[in-house]
Amino acid sequence: MGSEIVSPYGVQAIQVLTILLGAPLVSGVIAHAEGRLQGRRGPRILQPYYDIAKFFSKETLVTNDSSWVFLAGPIVAFACYLTVPLLIPVLTTFPLPLGFSGDILGGGFILALAGFSIALSGAESGAPYAQLGSSRAMTFGALIEPTILFVIFAVALITHTDLPYALSATIRSSTSQMVRPSHVLAVVAFFLVVLVDTGRIPVETHSGTLEFGMIDEARTLEHSGPPLALLKWGSTMKQLILYTILINVFLAPWGLASTGKWSSVLLAVVALLGKAIALGLVFAIIDNSFSKLRLFKITEFIASAFLLAVLSVLVFYVGGG
Amino acid sequence: MVPSTYDGVAAVLAVLALLTEFAMLRAPMLRSQVRLYAFQSLVVTGLAAYVAASRHIDELYVLAALSLVLKVVIVPALILRLLRDADTDLAGSSVLGVASAILIALVVAAFGFFAVGSMHVNSSSLPTSSLAIACAIVLVAFVLIILRSDVVSQAIGFFSLENGVSVASLVVASGLPLIVDIAFLFDLLVAVVVFGVIMRVHHARNATLSTSDFDRLRG
Repeated sequence: MGSEIVSPYGVQAIQVLTILLGAPLVSGVIAHAEGRLQGRRGPRILQPYYDIAKFFSKETLVTNDSSWVFLAGPIVAFACYLTVPLLIPVLTTFPLPLGFSGDILGGGFILALAGFSIALSGAESGAPYAQLGSSRAMTFGALIEPTILFVIFAVALITHTDLPYALSATIRSSTSQMVRPSHVLAVVAFFLVVLVDTGRIPVETHSGTLEFGMIDEARTLEHSGPPLALLKWGSTMKQLILYTILINVFLAPWGLASTGKWSSVLLAVVALLGKAIALGLVFAIIDNSFSKLRLFKITEFIASAFLLAVLSVLVFYVGGG
Repeated sequence: MVPSTYDGVAAVLAVLALLTEFAMLRAPMLRSQVRLYAFQSLVVTGLAAYVAASRHIDELYVLAALSLVLKVVIVPALILRLLRDADTDLAGSSVLGVASAILIALVVAAFGFFAVGSMHVNSSSLPTSSLAIACAIVLVAFVLIILRSDVVSQAIGFFSLENGVSVASLVVASGLPLIVDIAFLFDLLVAVVVFGVIMRVHHARNATLSTSDFDRLRG
């Protein structure tokens, strides 16, 4: 069985399944490691799966003031998170048939649509904390957007395309690509973007229950039952998608399948989850070594990410690097 | 055109020095500012040693060793000692918020980048981008000096400006006679003495390190 070729569409489906089924595992390992770092035993590694299963078996409660938007938001977001893995190199070095249906901007738009629909659904609930979370998430989302754009500019300058597969291939081509300053700066800027977008510590307490510091977490306070399960699952998927982009496009695009053989595809699945968990441990360590910024200091953090991204483009123009 | 691995590493080191300069802009504590300066000096020292090793310029080892001793150890230790006597922790408030300061510095740095980029200076020892980055370091150090209103930040701004000049001299004249480089370093020592005296006298007279009292020209 190991040498049989999977059809490209099959690999494409496996990419989505990897993200879908692997994401709670990655989150579980990170939560467990965080617990260990804080001197606790930490939750079981499979806890996110149990949580999602539990929420699916609960009833759905809807606030009096909300309309169908409240229930549609989580579904739209989940659909978006299922779409993005089609566009990015999750498992293979060679582009898959649907990989060209959207470039890196297209993937960004779909992720933004997911964030927007969750925020809309939170705002629709009519509850103050959910609305506060939605408003904050949109504000900081808008602030981080220029950084993402400049990272994409840097990628586009380096590779002359804006396809994630092309950058991944460029990085693999030589070490001088790895150490060129514009790439290094873009990677660090994107790392900070991932910190912001996954709601990690300098910006937001990931597992906190204090509403005043919440940004992303607050949006889902009013949801319950299956929609909440979709939101939780979706947020782990978003995290794994961002990790995958960071790892397979920018940081370490190795261990990907170069052929469509079963054995190499399965190996790539294991490699991706391993790399994502390793990256997650780095995030867990950052989570435990820094304190959360005050809400109005987050702009400073975002400004430094923007600085890195702009410098990346500048260095490219001046030194060719 | 992809720069070679050597050029890439050298430019990354130079960029690291520039980023430290930006970090000084946002550092609120005087102590952290001094530490950032020490780190920046370490990066510049590393760059000198890297050029020395890869281009086989032996004098640069001497320069690297000297700057390691002076800029990474002695100067920061001296300033930290002065700070311990002054008993002040926080830097004087900047005229602008951190985010705006960084954006302004970014514009200034971009100006430096393109100004140098249009000169087409070619160097055998380091890529041209390092010269542009050195120019950006100098300009951002100016921004730091202008925006911060306390003696220590301004002194650190001045010293880190010298770091920028060191990077530039590595680019345009890494074969510079050693004596000239050492003269630069001793210039720095003179500056440290001058700033030390200013800090002490100012603190003794006004019980503050802020320069906002300096605008009253009275006898």
